[in-house]
Amino acid sequence: MRAELRHHAGGVLVGLAFVGLWQGAVSSGVVHYQYLPAPDAVVAAGVRQLRDGALLGAAGHTLVSALIAWGIALLVGGALGMGMALSAPLRALLTLSVDLLRTLPVIAFVPIAALLFGLSRTTEVTVAAWSALWPIAVNTVGGLEGVHARLGEVGAVLQLGRARRLWAITLPAAAPLMLVGARLGLGLALIVTVAAEMIANPAGLGYEIVQMQQALRPDAMFAYILVVGVVGLALNAGLQQAAARAVPATQTAGGRS
Amino acid sequence: MNARPSRVALGLVPLVAGLGVWQLLATSDSPYAPPPSAWWQALTQMQEAGTLLPAVASTLETVAVALAVAAVLGTALGLAIGSVPALQRALGPTMEFWRTMPPPAIVPAAALLLGLGRTMAVVVIVLAAVWPIVLNTVAGVRAIHPVLLESTRVLHVPPRTRVLQVLGPAVLPWVLLGLRVATPVCIIVTLLVEMLTGSAGVGALLLQAERDFLSAQAFALLVVVGLLGLAINLVVLSLDRWVMLRRPPRR
Repeated sequence: MRAELRHHAGGVLVGLAFVGLWQGAVSSGVVHYQYLPAPDAVVAAGVRQLRDGALLGAAGHTLVSALIAWGIALLVGGALGMGMALSAPLRALLTLSVDLLRTLPVIAFVPIAALLFGLSRTTEVTVAAWSALWPIAVNTVGGLEGVHARLGEVGAVLQLGRARRLWAITLPAAAPLMLVGARLGLGLALIVTVAAEMIANPAGLGYEIVQMQQALRPDAMFAYILVVGVVGLALNAGLQQAAARAVPATQTAGGRS
Repeated sequence: MNARPSRVALGLVPLVAGLGVWQLLATSDSPYAPPPSAWWQALTQMQEAGTLLPAVASTLETVAVALAVAAVLGTALGLAIGSVPALQRALGPTMEFWRTMPPPAIVPAAALLLGLGRTMAVVVIVLAAVWPIVLNTVAGVRAIHPVLLESTRVLHVPPRTRVLQVLGPAVLPWVLLGLRVATPVCIIVTLLVEMLTGSAGVGALLLQAERDFLSAQAFALLVVVGLLGLAINLVVLSLDRWVMLRRPPRR
């Protein structure tokens, strides 16, 4: 832990130096953009938004939407992936259609969802879940197919039933890649939630960012952008921690998005 | 890619069946889910009005420029970071923060600072799409056999030649892999910028169709966007294949 801290210290210092440079450049007037606030103004605006409750409300809305979408994507994407990995006919039938659907740029679905579900949270969650379910499904298929055939033979030697073999051998072996899919999915769910809030549903962090831009309040806008970044980092780090604890091999697995 | 035609046909069954059922069940003036035949009509109408092709061209141009800038910038950054470990340690956390920053959040800030227009669009798209290229280039530099780098040093190969004739060719396949990952990101952010700024392009057209409740037009544009994405991805993929046939495999 200590060594790790020292390893990152230089990098954190560079990050801080960058912020210091920004502060100095703006407050000394060297760099003058009409809409570029100094970091201290951004922090002050953030504290103001925090005090009157707008920030927490918006962050909560975005976080809950992204997590609901992610939960739906885990269920649907996991089921789809398992179905495709375990049944050859199903895979032959679905693979190409799935590949075509998942390469459709997800942003294009936001206006469609807005047409169908109105400017509502349903729109936001549907689109985010749609985007997150593909990496989850693809990595579930990849994880289950990548399980070494030897492991199946072990199950056969131990005379385990099909369900027991799946539960005790195949799923744990596939877990690292499935978790990578889950992590990619969570990141996407957050990004698409924010985007949908900007375009379709007037609520949450995405809407606040656009709102502050249009109100020409760049300090508050940058504060909200910062919060989005922090939420993304926190979600990613939290899931990585949880995954590392649940399946120690996760760190080494690379996934497909 | 080289799957047999019968397999391809089988794989398309669910999609075609879904669209067929849709066509049969929906009434042609349905406000929410107009059938595919209505999409086609909307498409020809847009084509006749002369709005479709300029928008497609504008989107393609933005994507192409942004991909090119991201490729050049990402390769340069990746080469520098990959060959100087101190640089990696120094920039690591800052880069990590930018990388996890959801691209949509940056669009309004860039719009305020840089104004609306293609420069702003390209800056935002590159900020989102450059990271896969940087990371892959760094991995590529790491994968070069140390003896290769040491021999250039022993032989006093000038830096210019070292970059162009040793590092460059060794890293090229990795850059292309990064480019393949960056392409879908690039397309998505391009559409998003178009939607948020209302600039020319298919994204803006699509959002306008939604706001005007022209659902047939919206669905038609969704198909256009999908085909556009498919075409761009195929071009990048075949560029990768073309280079890889002339290069040793990565890893």
